[in-house]
Amino acid sequence: MSLAEEYTEASEESRLERGLAYLQRNSRAYLLIAPAAVFLLAVVGYPIVETFRLSLYRSPADSTIETFVGLQHYAEIFDSDIFYRLLWQTGRWVVAGVVGKTILGLLIAIHLKGDIRGRKFFRTAFLIPWGIPYAISAVVFRWIEHPQFGYLNAILLKLGLIEQGIGILGNPSLAWLGVVVADIWIGTPFMAIIFLAGLQSIPQELYEAAAIDGAEKWHQFRYITLPQLKSVILIATLLSTIWTFVSFDVIWTMTGGGPISSTATLVIHIYQVGLQNGNLGRGAAYSVIGFLFLLVFAVIYLRIYTRGGDEL
Amino acid sequence: MTMAGHDRSSLRKVRLYGVLIALLGVMMLPFYAMFSSTFKPESEIFSAPATLFPSDPTFQAYVDVWSQTDVLLWIGNSFVISLGTVVLTLLLAIPAAYSCARNDFVGKRTFLLSVLVVQMFAPVVLIVGLFDVITQFGLFNTYLAVIIPAAAFTLPFNVWMLYGYFKTIPVALEESARIDGASQLQILTKIVLPLTKPALVASITYTFLYAWNRLLFVLTFLTDSGKYNIPRGVFSMVGALQTDWRMMLTVSVIGIIPLLILFAFLEEYIVAGMTAGAVKE
Repeated sequence: MSLAEEYTEASEESRLERGLAYLQRNSRAYLLIAPAAVFLLAVVGYPIVETFRLSLYRSPADSTIETFVGLQHYAEIFDSDIFYRLLWQTGRWVVAGVVGKTILGLLIAIHLKGDIRGRKFFRTAFLIPWGIPYAISAVVFRWIEHPQFGYLNAILLKLGLIEQGIGILGNPSLAWLGVVVADIWIGTPFMAIIFLAGLQSIPQELYEAAAIDGAEKWHQFRYITLPQLKSVILIATLLSTIWTFVSFDVIWTMTGGGPISSTATLVIHIYQVGLQNGNLGRGAAYSVIGFLFLLVFAVIYLRIYTRGGDEL
Repeated sequence: MTMAGHDRSSLRKVRLYGVLIALLGVMMLPFYAMFSSTFKPESEIFSAPATLFPSDPTFQAYVDVWSQTDVLLWIGNSFVISLGTVVLTLLLAIPAAYSCARNDFVGKRTFLLSVLVVQMFAPVVLIVGLFDVITQFGLFNTYLAVIIPAAAFTLPFNVWMLYGYFKTIPVALEESARIDGASQLQILTKIVLPLTKPALVASITYTFLYAWNRLLFVLTFLTDSGKYNIPRGVFSMVGALQTDWRMMLTVSVIGIIPLLILFAFLEEYIVAGMTAGAVKE
């Protein structure tokens, strides 16, 4: 054995020893995170792997025999008109929902910001729509939009805007709007609370100085509030985009994706194909496509979240 | 202050409250539709166009709902699922968060970031794979089939919330207790956790609400109607052809009452949790 070889071996051994000593020193630290880590690996990590695997197989609904088909599901999906329709419907759903929640949330937050009487009451009241089951909110909106007995039609009739009741959720070109309204209602409180927290961290002196300079309300909003709130708005809209993208309960309870699939989004389609029709392979392939979308958002979010760098 | 200035400021106040009340009105409208409908007799609820105020208010729907639906059972199941999720999540999150806050070890950053990624991974896109796992482990149709996935998706928030809070508790406190001969477990339960109360309340509230409200897991993993939670119960009342709106809305009202109570008492903690989950200071 040459001297060099002997040297490497010795250093390797000591590296192993050092590693073991390190583990021993930190054994308690590792032991304490182990249950959570193992749990997440089993309940989230493994299903991810399983989803990828399933997406390469065809499993007919009526049998348990799986046949390996490679990337065939993906090829068929990208070749189908359904996929592009789903993309358009998902995009429409996300953009309309997030824009609506952001504007309404900002409006509420701005009016809650000052030193107002009954702030706790208002804050609690505005928060409630976020905290109740989405399925219940969805049912209530379904009731409001009911073609015969709904409150919306009653109000529109009273105002003379329509002559007879319209069935929003039964109309393939209107249904998505009927569902988006419910989603905006549910998602607005989160935006309002986050914006309120952001608004309260803006130094009051900025507004005082602006007021002395005679700046109008709109200018104060445009040149102080919006720029100061930029990063909060970025984070909140990003999170809202992710949540709206994956939102399931509202659409499922209100329309089940119908009529004629006009309210289906990518995740609704995953559920319909994978679980309702039992086509696990095709559903899994759609899931993987969904992952990829989420991954893009998640990476952006992580970038922003860890921007400070060393606080972990 | 001049008279004119005084007038202007009170005018501004009127405008502010006017806008606030209008916004609140818009946000409360669905609740109004829900509540007011439950006080209508059956003949009125199915009259077109809808009456905006119950013409002859009655509590009949609340009487009927006990005998005609499983509302109590669903509420009970919701409690079982929510409490189970809270216990499982805390059992996993507290040690992990504590370990990360007190130690510096290789893999800590990876662990914390992976946890954050899990929060981004919504259950719906995982549902096909999750379904496979739940059936493989023979958990289908058990409460655990709902509790386990719910705990997995509330764990990230809990770990981060508690991790951030543990870091603010001075190590010196623990060291002095150790000198006094307290064991590791005693230090955690007698000193650290009591100090963590605000974060714990926020964590528990968030987790409880999450599990209480979720339809997806129950819809997918529980076919036994005896185990339905409130959202699933309400959903089961949506008929393909006919829906008993009066009963369904009444169950909905009853189903959200526990949450309204929770909100009235824990508003601050809920807000703290919501903001901490999304935006760092």
